[in-house]
Amino acid sequence: MAAGILLVTHPGIGTALVAVATALLRNLPLRVEAFEVPFDADPEQLLPQASAALRRADSGDGVLVLTDLYGASPSNLAARLAHLGTPVRRVSSLNLPMLLRVLNYAELALDALPAVAAAGARNGVVLDDAF
Amino acid sequence: MIQRDLVVSNKLGLHARATAKLVQVLSGHRCNATLTAKGREVNAKSIMGVMLLAAGYGSPVVLRVDGEDEAAAADAVVALFERRFDEES
Repeated sequence: MAAGILLVTHPGIGTALVAVATALLRNLPLRVEAFEVPFDADPEQLLPQASAALRRADSGDGVLVLTDLYGASPSNLAARLAHLGTPVRRVSSLNLPMLLRVLNYAELALDALPAVAAAGARNGVVLDDAF
Repeated sequence: MIQRDLVVSNKLGLHARATAKLVQVLSGHRCNATLTAKGREVNAKSIMGVMLLAAGYGSPVVLRVDGEDEAAAADAVVALFERRFDEES
């Protein structure tokens, strides 16, 4: 029982987050793929590539799709990935605390991961002017 | 319940990589684990939780582990602190 993770983001974001998570954790406990959507891309043409990334992330138990900005092209593309047959759950506002927390709960089933991701993202926001 | 008083002994403090190592060491154990510093107690199995302590070089922290494999978990964490998280200094 191991969900896969697919980051669907604006250019430069997804691969950078995966690189940092890999540097911090060394061996990622889940399959993590990044798919970056170019600014001038036609979403229609990207769908085959994005679905290939989804299949790479899937090990049979579904994929948690994390997008950086709700309502933007990457998240609209991610919404279409949910209709291809692979079980998909989507969460927006991807950030590093979200990704790290999901990887820290790697044993959970796909349906439990959206709440884990959301809490990670939320708790990562600290109004950091104490002291 | 086992309690251990520790001092953050690596130069960079409980930064992201050190925290990730601590959490990975603990995630192999079933017991509950908390870390306390500056009056704040956090889940020691949570990367963001531990990083919220902002515990720098020389900070005293208190480890508490509670559960069936608490002794092994405490030993593993103490060893990690003594090894300075496998960092240079």
